[in-house]
Amino acid sequence: MLGPLLGTKLYLPRRKEGMVARDRLVQRLERGAAEKLLLVSAPAGFGKTTLLTDWLSGAPFAAGRARRAAWLSLDRSDNDPRVFWTYVVAALHSVEAGAGRSEPQLVALDQPPTQVLLTALLNDLGSTGDDIVLILDDYHVIDAPEIHDGIAFLLDHMPPRLHVVISSRADPAIPLARLRARGELVEVRAANLRFTPDEAAAYLNGTMGLQLTHADVAALDARTEGWIAALQLAALSIQGRDDAARYIAGFTGDDRYIVDYLVEEVLQRLPADVREFVLHVSLLDRFNSSLCAAVTGSDTAKATLDTLEQANLFLVSLDDRREWYRYHHLFADMLRSRLTQESPAVAAQIHRRASDWYAANGEPAQAVEHAMAGGHLARAADLIELAIPQMRRDRQEAALRRWCEALPLELLRARPVLSNSFAGALLSTGETRGVDGHLLNAERWLDPTVARRESVASGAQLMVVVDEDEFRRVPAGVAVHRAGLALFLGDPAGTVSHARRAMDLLEEGDELGRGAATALIALASWGSGDLETARDAYTKTLVSMERAGHIADILGCSIALADIQITQGRLRDAMRTYQRALLLATSGGGPPLRGTPDMYVGMSAIHREGNDIEGATELLARSRELGEHVGLPQNPYRWRVAMARVREAEADLDGAAGLLDEAEGVYVGDFSPNVRPVAAMRARIHIKLGRIADASDWARGQQLSTADDLSYLREYDHITLARALLARCAIQPTAERLDVATSLLGRLLDAAEAGGRTGSAIELLILQAQAFAMKGSAAAALVPLERALLLAEPEGYVRAFVDGGSSISSLLSLALKRGIAGDYVGDLLAAFGPIPQPVPARQAPIHPLSERELQILRLLGGDLGGPEIARQLVVSLNTVRTHTKSIYSKLGVNDRRAAVRRGEELGLMSWTRDRPGRSSARGE
Amino acid sequence: MNETRSGQRDPDGPVWYQIRLKGHLASRWSAWFGGLTLTREDGGTTLIEGAVIDQSELHGLLQRIRDTGLPLVSLTSAETCGSHQPAAAPPD
Repeated sequence: MLGPLLGTKLYLPRRKEGMVARDRLVQRLERGAAEKLLLVSAPAGFGKTTLLTDWLSGAPFAAGRARRAAWLSLDRSDNDPRVFWTYVVAALHSVEAGAGRSEPQLVALDQPPTQVLLTALLNDLGSTGDDIVLILDDYHVIDAPEIHDGIAFLLDHMPPRLHVVISSRADPAIPLARLRARGELVEVRAANLRFTPDEAAAYLNGTMGLQLTHADVAALDARTEGWIAALQLAALSIQGRDDAARYIAGFTGDDRYIVDYLVEEVLQRLPADVREFVLHVSLLDRFNSSLCAAVTGSDTAKATLDTLEQANLFLVSLDDRREWYRYHHLFADMLRSRLTQESPAVAAQIHRRASDWYAANGEPAQAVEHAMAGGHLARAADLIELAIPQMRRDRQEAALRRWCEALPLELLRARPVLSNSFAGALLSTGETRGVDGHLLNAERWLDPTVARRESVASGAQLMVVVDEDEFRRVPAGVAVHRAGLALFLGDPAGTVSHARRAMDLLEEGDELGRGAATALIALASWGSGDLETARDAYTKTLVSMERAGHIADILGCSIALADIQITQGRLRDAMRTYQRALLLATSGGGPPLRGTPDMYVGMSAIHREGNDIEGATELLARSRELGEHVGLPQNPYRWRVAMARVREAEADLDGAAGLLDEAEGVYVGDFSPNVRPVAAMRARIHIKLGRIADASDWARGQQLSTADDLSYLREYDHITLARALLARCAIQPTAERLDVATSLLGRLLDAAEAGGRTGSAIELLILQAQAFAMKGSAAAALVPLERALLLAEPEGYVRAFVDGGSSISSLLSLALKRGIAGDYVGDLLAAFGPIPQPVPARQAPIHPLSERELQILRLLGGDLGGPEIARQLVVSLNTVRTHTKSIYSKLGVNDRRAAVRRGEELGLMSWTRDRPGRSSARGE
Repeated sequence: MNETRSGQRDPDGPVWYQIRLKGHLASRWSAWFGGLTLTREDGGTTLIEGAVIDQSELHGLLQRIRDTGLPLVSLTSAETCGSHQPAAAPPD
């Protein structure tokens, strides 16, 4: 979407000489630029943009501090959060090279969560450096609530060096009252902007060089009520008249819409060809001489533009080279309304020419918009169809959906390529309604006999295809979308059968299509417990995605594949899956790809299973260092679960429980089946803590029973239930209870083995050994234990045994005596080691810092004092002190310096992500 | 079509709106305001009135009014319009 017009939107217009000095407003502006938000809110034509550009281009310093202005002129097409924030990042980047470093892959997401993107942006900006003023001009064109929310979030979290200026015809939908109450908002409104009589005199007789009497100036000022656009138009229409006084008297005494009237006056004074040029060009949001020539047919477009600029006829220059211009908005609106009312046919023709020019100049989005504005809907449909391959590559499904929604159904019906892509765009923006109908529309053209018969019978439309290559992809595309629709509707069998059909239909070399189809098969099979099919399909997805160069998707699929491999007891394969994805993600040499931290989290869990707790902790620290915002949607949840398991291995059960609580709060499914629910993990910690009653409450709440039918999706819950039963037996053993537990374990084991879930089987065999030992038969217990050892040894399992505690260590000693799996058992027994000592000072704290404490710790690393930190976080100084005390005690330190040093050792200070000496740790 | 059930107003049916602006607009502005009728009134105001199909259209209309910079004086709605003629005749 970021075409070559980018530069014109970020261009801060230069100050013009001889403008009316508005010192009375500058003070207010300076005050606003020191606060969070300066709002310039007034109707069209009140000189908002001019005021801001004059002020900023003349004031690079404020209060002795250097200040940089990041300018962004908004227009209607910025109403998409993705486009909007991309431009904001680009604007900030233009004044601060570091801003938006992590932006390229973030904007490549299909739907970047705004908060995630903003957090990354704020991290990059940091809290030190020159002041930056971000100006959002014409903010009234924005009505997407997500963007308003994003602005509110930005205002709440931005560092004090950043200031936002919004200029708008309407108050923006952000919490202005709150900002006002906190004194963080300065406003410039219509009442402030109106020209005073003195300013009107300075403008008319100074800037515009008129020689009006005091009475004439007063009459004009009263009639226009200080409305600047009206005064400007009046000045232009008076210029060169001998009878200024009579002319003024002619319109100051009535109620006509003065701007409209004066535009007419100004137009009348232009030569006919120039007048026509001015009117025709008004339909363009921006224009250069080439575009003007194309739409007006004039061969003197460049000269005419120069004339208009010299005559001050409402042109705003959009660059330093005098190439791109726009009209003052109010003037453009007046001309547009006039042209569309008086000559609608001409207006439609101009839109068509503009559309053709944009299409020929590589701006398909503008080409489509103009075709639609001119009512050339068939042409628009053609253009959209041609843009589809590029839009698919750029993940522009939301824009595609908007366009298709604007087309009449009859047009869509005749176009199989568009219908199919529309269905895909709906699905990828989370909408299932209408998908089936569009797919049916596409499908009915796929059988040539049916299509012909229908058009003959009804005399109706014939099929329209612009892009033959895309048409050949329609049959497979429809099948993929049918599979996606079935997955949305909870029909795994349908998903798999449509996706398999797609596989048969896909063209040779359509790796993106193949990747999508296999991924759908994998997801549906995983959810229904067919792990082998899922593993096979994901493996194929990875091959296709790599061939198609979609590395970002490889990372997401690798997590799912490794999850499946771990359940299947293939730890070494899972490790290879992560390593391979990591290699791909880091081989580009750029900033880490989204999903990189997730690979570290996954690898950490395998290190933990091998009892390499230090290695596991280090990997989690690396993930944290890259930041959650570089992670996939599940990263916050998965990181906490992995860290909880590390804590558990360190015998810090309270710490583990706390992390699981946090994990539950940030859980997202992201289409993966929830096969290891956090609540069950917490129940397991409660069991270890001896809180059997809590575990029973959990089981009751989940309506779990030993008599349930067993399924893969609930396997983890049922194994947890078995653990709870065994724990109760350990306290109050009864034969009946033990029988219930062993019977459940036996059934679970059968199911796990039938489903090829060796990882689950190892866990269940160890539990069985414990159950048999409780029954008093060590010999019987050694049977399942020996099987577990056999399965676990080649994959390097350690914690599965060690977490079983003393009952397993006794059984292992016995096994060693009997010569079972000698070396392995010896290693396992060594891993039981001494009881873990209290955590030494250089390791991570037992009690993790809360998010708020982390935030404060990071601020402590900067140069803000306590009161400033309190102000920034909008809490009281006392609250900051309480948190600080808690941070010191958790980190085992006594002062700020030591806390910061300790935080750095633990990798907690990742506010700015590329600390010297750390970046080299990545990418090996 | 705009069927009403048991005399109740269909919440999604068109509604007759009257919007009053300060300033006299030429009648050619009618097209700009979606074909609604423009009447210049004594006292320097213009009355824009007609059937507005839904709230989205109304807000689009208000945005266009905002973009002229003319002050909005009043906004009122009448009964639901029938599908063939205004249910409430517009006052002159």
